[in-house]
Amino acid sequence: MHDKKRKNYNLMVGGIITGLMLFFILVGIFYTPYDPNGMDATAKFAGISFKHPMGCDNFGRDVLSRVMKGAGTTLGVAAGTVFIGTFFGVIVGAVTGYFGGILDEILMRVNDAIFAFPSILLALVFISLLGSGTYQVVIALGIAFIPSFARIVRSEFIKYKNMDYIKNARLQGAWHLRIMFVHILPNTFTVLMSAIMIGFNNAVLAEAGMSFLGIGVQPPQASLGRMLSEAQSYLFRAPAYAIFPGVVIILMVLGFSLLGDALKREE
Amino acid sequence: MKYVGKKLLTMILTLFAVTLFVFLAFHVISGDPATSMLGTEATPARISALREELGLNDPVLVQYGRWAVNFLKGDMGTSYSYRMPVGDMVSDKIPVTMTLTILAFFMMVIIAIPLGIYTARHAGGVVDRTIYIINQVIMAVPPFFSGILITLLFGRIFKLFTPGAYVSYEKDFLGFVGYLLFPALAIALPKAAMAVKLLRSSVIGESKLDYVRTAYSRGNRTRDVLYLHVLKNALIPVVTFLGMALADMIAGSIIIEQVFSIPGLGRILLTSISNRDYPVVLAVIVCIAVLVLVVNMVVDLIYGLIDPRISVE
Repeated sequence: MHDKKRKNYNLMVGGIITGLMLFFILVGIFYTPYDPNGMDATAKFAGISFKHPMGCDNFGRDVLSRVMKGAGTTLGVAAGTVFIGTFFGVIVGAVTGYFGGILDEILMRVNDAIFAFPSILLALVFISLLGSGTYQVVIALGIAFIPSFARIVRSEFIKYKNMDYIKNARLQGAWHLRIMFVHILPNTFTVLMSAIMIGFNNAVLAEAGMSFLGIGVQPPQASLGRMLSEAQSYLFRAPAYAIFPGVVIILMVLGFSLLGDALKREE
Repeated sequence: MKYVGKKLLTMILTLFAVTLFVFLAFHVISGDPATSMLGTEATPARISALREELGLNDPVLVQYGRWAVNFLKGDMGTSYSYRMPVGDMVSDKIPVTMTLTILAFFMMVIIAIPLGIYTARHAGGVVDRTIYIINQVIMAVPPFFSGILITLLFGRIFKLFTPGAYVSYEKDFLGFVGYLLFPALAIALPKAAMAVKLLRSSVIGESKLDYVRTAYSRGNRTRDVLYLHVLKNALIPVVTFLGMALADMIAGSIIIEQVFSIPGLGRILLTSISNRDYPVVLAVIVCIAVLVLVVNMVVDLIYGLIDPRISVE
């Protein structure tokens, strides 16, 4: 009873936070108070004021405008990453779970090997192969995310593939492809949605981490991780510059993780 | 025993696959090491002589074999940018990263186990609910941001340490550990929050099982039931998580080392990536991979010890 109440509460708070963040980012696409890359030498390290609600950075750029754009970049990278991970994860998971056999055995061994490997390290390997940049980070993180999705989808497919309604569909002459994607896939929706929320959560953290290390989004483009790494050099002079981008990351991740928790199916 | 052998075999195979993949990948992109060592102005004759000397004309798999054998002997190649053996550059970084990770691991365990048990015993209470909220927030804080906050809090406000004033372990071991306590806390916090959550739900889940009721009906006190019966089983999933967290922490330290300017494996990996110094990148990635895989295997073995059902399967 108590946990159920907690779940509804999670859904509500998570929904509100995520909704506000999306609104903030959407507005940022069309309107920012200042040019996010416009420098103003007179406003270097300007404090919090009505003119600059989050202050200014070392180049006199308005932090609020940069946070708005940067949150969009971070969310965009996360969305691309989760899309690659889900798309290929669903295909790999569906094929291995449904057909089983030697292909399943091989792919799952590979999957286990990748899974045992921390995703940040894997992304670093790909970055050093592809070079740094926004698209490279999407691809690198996307590949690193495939195994976890594949695992989840595979176990769902194994659960469903021997159920009576699937046997029935097969007797009616449905193709394997149709059974996999029309009959089974929709049933995995809840589990998949929860995994996607957790994936978003990890992707935001991973993007911020990569940009923080300077190998993700390149300057002058704003990204939350990038801003934090720039702010770190001026931490004691202008703490607000570091705190605002950080708080926005926390809110984004918090929103997704609460939604993910709420969507998790009752065991 | 069969279980141990199987795990060991899996680890060796994974290690082989990972190193082969990374080696091939770097082989394809790094271009011609002979050209990068001699520069673009070298004569073709000198380049081909060096190619012969380095054995670059052999098939790739032979080159991999040679690299692997040399690596096992401790010879990790020569850095392009510093012209010095990679082994010398990497070997004194490993203890730094290891100390940081181990400190973080102990902090995680010290924070997580008591809190997890406490919140499970008092589920629904004020403390439980407060910790639940704090946990959710902490899990959302990226480690490098908590690193920044810790720098602000302990470095600026409480002045407990000087940010950036890293002390080498060869000079002053205690000072070194003292400096690492703060970055270790940044790594440990989010993992500890997850562990508290997991332990709480694990203990609550166990407490509902029949054997617990039996234990109570035989006249055991609540505390005895918890510590002698429930905890033994409830800790099993937590141990797996702690192991995975340890492996994650090794990789996570890459970022934290950057925040606190600690010259560990992560530092050298990032500089080498931006310098395109592939022998160093390869060596560091393989070192981290070995650490991670060994940790994973040890966890699997411990898991087999505390839950004998696993090794029978």
